[in-house]
Amino acid sequence: MKRNMRVLASILALTLALSSLTACGSSNNEAKPSDSGSNVSADAKDTITALLPPVSGKFQDKFKQLEKEFNELYPNLTLNIEPASWEDMTQKLDTQVNAGSPPDIAFIPSGGIPKYIQQGMLLDITDTATPEMVADYDKVPLEYMKNGNGLYGFPAYMEVHALGGNKQFLEEAGIDWKKVQKDGWTIDEFREAIKKGVVKEGDKTSRYGFVFATAGVASKDYLNILLKNAGMPAQFNTDLKYAYTSKNFLEVLKDIRALIDDGSMPKELSSVDAGKRWNMFLTGQTMITGKGLATFENNANENNEKIKAKDGSEVKGSIPVDYIVLPVPTFLGEKQQASVAVDGYVTFRGTKEPTAEHKANVVKAAYFLASGNVAATTNNDLFAAHITESGRKAAETMPLNRNEDNKAAVETLLQQATPARPDIPTDLGAKAIKMEDEVIVPKLQALIAGEITPEAMYETVKSAAVKAFGEDGVVKE
Amino acid sequence: MTQLAKPLKKRRIKGDGGWGYAFIAVALVVFAVFTAYPVVSAFIISFQDYKPLGSTFVGFDNYIDSFKDSLFWKSLVNTVVYTILTVPVALIISFGVAILILPLNKKLQTTFKAIYYLPAVASGVALSVVWLWIFDPMPTGILNQVLGFFGINNQNWLGSSSTSMFSLVLMSWLSSHGTSIIIYLAALLGIDDSYYEAAELDGASFIKKMWYIVIPCLKPTTLFLLVTGVIGSFQVFQNAYLMTGGGPDNATTMVGLLIFNNAFKYFEFGKAAAQSLVLALIIGVISLVQFKFWGKDVEY
Amino acid sequence: MSLYNDHTGHVAAKYIRNAVIIIILLLFALATIFPIYFMIISSFGDPVEAGAMSYSLIPTKISLDSYKFFFEYSEYSLRWLLNSLFVASVVTVSNVFFASMAGYAFSKIRFKGRTALFTLLLIAMMIPYQVTQVPLYILIVNIFQIQNTYSALILPGLVTVYNIFLAKQFMSSIPTEVLECAKIEGCNQFQVYFRIILPLSKTVLAVMAILTFMDSWNTFFWPFLVTNTMDMQTIQVGLKNFRFANTTYFAPMMAGATISALPMFILFFSLQKYFLKGVTVGAVKG
Repeated sequence: MKRNMRVLASILALTLALSSLTACGSSNNEAKPSDSGSNVSADAKDTITALLPPVSGKFQDKFKQLEKEFNELYPNLTLNIEPASWEDMTQKLDTQVNAGSPPDIAFIPSGGIPKYIQQGMLLDITDTATPEMVADYDKVPLEYMKNGNGLYGFPAYMEVHALGGNKQFLEEAGIDWKKVQKDGWTIDEFREAIKKGVVKEGDKTSRYGFVFATAGVASKDYLNILLKNAGMPAQFNTDLKYAYTSKNFLEVLKDIRALIDDGSMPKELSSVDAGKRWNMFLTGQTMITGKGLATFENNANENNEKIKAKDGSEVKGSIPVDYIVLPVPTFLGEKQQASVAVDGYVTFRGTKEPTAEHKANVVKAAYFLASGNVAATTNNDLFAAHITESGRKAAETMPLNRNEDNKAAVETLLQQATPARPDIPTDLGAKAIKMEDEVIVPKLQALIAGEITPEAMYETVKSAAVKAFGEDGVVKE
Repeated sequence: MTQLAKPLKKRRIKGDGGWGYAFIAVALVVFAVFTAYPVVSAFIISFQDYKPLGSTFVGFDNYIDSFKDSLFWKSLVNTVVYTILTVPVALIISFGVAILILPLNKKLQTTFKAIYYLPAVASGVALSVVWLWIFDPMPTGILNQVLGFFGINNQNWLGSSSTSMFSLVLMSWLSSHGTSIIIYLAALLGIDDSYYEAAELDGASFIKKMWYIVIPCLKPTTLFLLVTGVIGSFQVFQNAYLMTGGGPDNATTMVGLLIFNNAFKYFEFGKAAAQSLVLALIIGVISLVQFKFWGKDVEY
Repeated sequence: MSLYNDHTGHVAAKYIRNAVIIIILLLFALATIFPIYFMIISSFGDPVEAGAMSYSLIPTKISLDSYKFFFEYSEYSLRWLLNSLFVASVVTVSNVFFASMAGYAFSKIRFKGRTALFTLLLIAMMIPYQVTQVPLYILIVNIFQIQNTYSALILPGLVTVYNIFLAKQFMSSIPTEVLECAKIEGCNQFQVYFRIILPLSKTVLAVMAILTFMDSWNTFFWPFLVTNTMDMQTIQVGLKNFRFANTTYFAPMMAGATISALPMFILFFSLQKYFLKGVTVGAVKG
């Protein structure tokens, strides 16, 4: 039955398409040639599909409404949103891409763009996006949606990966967090600070200075966040030489080990996951945690409310916490460069070359999702900064309750956001990703678990890099 | 009387070729369309640099690359170790439990079967959360509390390469044997009483009955569980994926995980297909050995 | 008369033996049941995120909010359950029927190419699904164009090699003599299958039904791939929507898992009578 309906529907659609074609022919004869083409194409019926994860907690509840609003804006266009969870959507998207039939739009981290370009399945919208649309975006996040000369979608937000501290504990340890928010700190200052955060009961540590989620692949985040502040903002330097073979890399590895050996971080760090460290933060088992996103302030506030309500619904054993945004320490006198995550609405194509009209419609839908009211609400839910003019304007009237110091700190960090690297060719990027997954992450896990020395890890990475990129393809100093 | 003397001997009914095809027709069509077709596709893809917009033929490159890749070998070794440590133990445990359930009354049988089968009903997510709690590296973790009771320091179960494989194996030992238990029980209940009667007339002990009746009669079942168990174990990747991500230092990277990564993370679909076929070949050889070894006097 | 001694005249001995057995089984049961227990008690917690989860053996607070949350979360909650029920039922019935037929043929009927065909089936089982999944997706979505339909959810699972293998192994231990007698009495193969094989295989068919239903009910990835609207999703796909950005609504997810496990309990206990002893060859002969 369903099958028959589908056939019927496609016949209907075909008839409609044909009749609109004939209409096009006749109108062409009568109307002025200059604007008739765009008029007609803009009226043709079209459906745009989008695969979207729960970007914010309330995001998926709004899908019906988004579809409706989009249809009101463009009566001839239908937006079909498929919901998917974060964990699973990559797999669905990848299967669809491999099968040659991806959705028109998918919400993914900008880091995924090169991978899909290599498969030839991304839609370059450089020519289709209007100048007004492009001008709406801040330059830094928009760059993240580019590769080579192509633009492959619109960014939704740029989030800073920072650290988060417990205000009371920071003050007890004599750390001037306001100054740190403004001026940053060096790894040596940081090391001393978190030593002071440690509280011991007998020979057991009841509170650590610093805990970062490093279980499994999350260890990648930890390393990357630190490397940004050690003069290695990307895996390749500006001459496209692989950067992780530099001496600085070794120094960062040594410090990673030192923080654990000091006793400021737990020796079991290698199996602390995101949930665990957040639990440790809320229950006062650590002074500083990472990675810290702006929205964590919100989570901490919610738990504080629950503690006040005294109904047993708070996290077991938790204490009231004022969440303080802190920058990542810098290494070897290098400048502070915030690690940012830019996620956005990326545009895809199928095995068949899309028509110009369809392309234009896809861009309309992507822009609709990534600007104005929609972007403003979503980013507010996430405590994320707005990156479009239209979004900022729409957000003016929306109330938001957050710590002013934190807001300022995040803004400072956003100013120092690591620039995008659209110049890195996709094949180099792909090699680097594989290198990261198969060599760096496994060795880093072993380093954190105390099974290999920083030197041993450095040598392994170096020889693997030389093998992958050649003697001349890597940084030597 | 010869029939009774050799009750286990199986002869097939002759001259029913047409019926044979009719009986497997539906299964075969479903198989051809939904299993054989994808497998053949995968075979073709294994000789290609696969791209949705047009693949190029690369000969045996995908195979050669895989064999040169030390990680592929390491993951194969990990998979073999995992299989050897888990599959036989799982068989012994489920066989033992099935035997123990057997003498109980029907109500108790049902209850225990239900209990052992339940974990299979629970969602995998729920299970992995519980296991993360059990393997919590801090002294408050469940397993670490048990160790602490004996005065042993807390272990970094999933985070250290010396214990991570063991942790995954332990997880497999203690989680669902429900399917095997139920299948074994079904087989046990199917053993004809007349065998036991005959044995008892000869004054056979429990051990003797076990050895001469139960184990031979359960051979087809054991073979089934062994072959499917090995196949499952060689393809396993969910546990490693959820619990350790293959780490640390690739200590728990299984072939299944590697194939998954190649197919999706790196989009090297041709290589993933090649590695799968190598894997299938290995499982095939192992299964063949199992059939030869276990199936000697059993029909297969 | 059975494997175990009846201890006729030694009632005490029998009781002691059974008591020991029960204690061993209970200890093992504790380890197995623990995750379920955890699943159920956490479902009574508050609908909070997993990052804020606290592990405890005894619930600090009993609330049914999560169950409410689950049904209010989406207007499709009930629909998901029904979809799963429909898909799993169809798949189960077709597997029990077709796999037992194929299993019978492979174990008891002699025909040309039998061993070769069966080997082929087994080999296909050895190819990991990560690789066959993309070609299968291309087949269903690009060639048949039936994505987002019940057909797409059901067709690939109509008969599985696993079940054919299972049926074959069990049926191979049915004495061929029984079948030959029936043939001599003038039954054709279909009658033999229907009147003798099926009744004799009740136990294994019940096992197969449970396993297949369970498997279909729990499948997540395939339904997730081929559905693209909420109303066609199965319960497992719907459940996964509880997992949010960096956190998870833990208790409602557990409530969902508990709800989704319920039909399995019911099925399990309703099929119980087929598990019970009595359908053995001897019984038929006698």
